[in-house]
Parts: sequence; structure tokens; C-alpha cells
Amino acid sequence: MESKFTEMYQKEPAEENGNGCEQVINLLDLMVDGEASAEEQHFFNKHIEECVNCFENHQKQKLLKGLISGHLKRVIVPESLAQTIKAKIQETI
Amino acid sequence: MSEQTGKQLSKEEKDARFEAELLPVLDPLYNFAYRLTLDEDDANDLVQETYLKAYRFFDYFEQGTNAKAWLFRILKNSFINEFRKKSKQPAKVDYSEVEGYYNTDDVEGDSGVATTTDMRSESVQDLIGDEVASALNTLPVDFRTVIILCDLEGFTYEEMAKILDIPIGTVRSRLHRARNSLKEKLEKYAKTMGYNS
Repeated sequence: MESKFTEMYQKEPAEENGNGCEQVINLLDLMVDGEASAEEQHFFNKHIEECVNCFENHQKQKLLKGLISGHLKRVIVPESLAQTIKAKIQETI
Repeated sequence: MSEQTGKQLSKEEKDARFEAELLPVLDPLYNFAYRLTLDEDDANDLVQETYLKAYRFFDYFEQGTNAKAWLFRILKNSFINEFRKKSKQPAKVDYSEVEGYYNTDDVEGDSGVATTTDMRSESVQDLIGDEVASALNTLPVDFRTVIILCDLEGFTYEEMAKILDIPIGTVRSRLHRARNSLKEKLEKYAKTMGYNS
């Protein structure tokens, strides 16, 4: 009896917790990177319409990506670099 | 040595194609090199070496295929082979500076420093950029790499897998861990900037 009970108890979190939250978390990167399939997108969007937690996580993930793509400054290529490369190629060949 | 066997282009043709197809990638390539080495001179050397190799193996490059991914791959390999050896450390980062910043931040977010700041002002935007950069620079180089390739350069998972010579599944899990780590580092900062949720 007891062992059966603990068995069931252990099983519970994985399934019960769900409602798809776990799957949605796994899809977060795919979604923000535009790599999710149509089916995955549909599942994801449907879920976050109803789940505040996952909705917020999605917002945060988008924000994080935006911080890199929108705020990380690009370094300026030294003006002479292209010339140096061309010159070196002519030298070595 | 074995170049005679490749499909032969005249030197002029080769030079012209090289300039037209590969040199336009200079800007992203230099930026990638800089984010890997965190040093302008090293980035300079690494980019030069990459282009020299690319020229040497240009006969193997298929015209019209992804020149950017090809060059990124060469650069990444050069970096692993040479620069990593040179600088034992994954990156030259001034940790003391970063630490200093975070420590002074321990005062807790109730001071409301940022609440009166206009988030759109240029100086604030610069500040965010600096903060993102220093957080990113403290990540291990493998983590930094996937974030740069994905979020800054917009490579697909498949392209990243080719550049890094790893399966797509590894790209995904590495990116996931890299973002979690970056998130952690930025969290404190985000609070002070009113990004608190």
C-alpha cells in the first residue's frame, strides 16, 4: 500500500503541475528566436493566453533578447583593417 | 599544396570574388572577434588571420552559399586553436570593476534611484548598453558565443550548429543555459532600472 502511494505521489508533480507549463517553458527560446514550428506556436500562444506566469516569462525572454539586439553597442572596425587584409593577401600569395 | 587540383579561377577573378563576397562581412566578423577576445588588437589579428585562411581555401567555398556563416566558422576555429591557448583565461575581463558595481548595488532597490530617470534618454540607453556588455563579458566564452550569434547576428539554430560544429540540440541547451546565466546577472541591474516585475 505504502509503496503504491509514494509511487503515485512521485508521479504527480510532472503531470499535474503541467497544463502545459513545462512544455511552454521549453519552447520559450524557440519562440523568441523564431524557430518554433506552426504547431508549437499555436500551442504556445494558446497557453499563454490563459496562463499569467508563462505570459510573463515570455515577456521577460523577449526583453532579454531585445537587450542584446537593441542595446549592445557594435564596435567600430578600424579604418585600415580592410586595406591591411588586402595587402597581406597579396604579400603571402 | 593541393590547390592545383581545385577548380581554377584566375587570380583576378579570385580577388574580385573574394572582395565582393567576403569583405562585406568584415563588420560583423570584427564584432564577433571583439566579443570573443575582448581586446581590439586580438580582434584585429584574429580577423586578419581568418581572411588569410579564407583566401587560401577560397576554392572550396561555394559561390552563393552563406559566406557569413563560413567566415564565422573559420574565425571561431582559429580562436579555439590559437587565442584560447594564448590567454589561458576564457576572457580578459576586469572582474573587479564588475564586482565593484554590483557590490555598491547591494543597498537594496528602495532608494528609487532610477524612478526619476527618463528611460528613453540617450545616456540611459548608453548605460543599459554598457551594463548588458559587462554582464555578457563575464559569461564563459561558449555562452557568450551563442548569445552573440543568435541575438546580435541573427543566425538560425542550424547555422549556429554548423559554425560551432555541434548538434542543434546542443545549440538549444547551450543557448538556454547562457540566457539563464545572463538573466541572473542582469536581474539586479534590472531592478534598479525599474524593469522589476
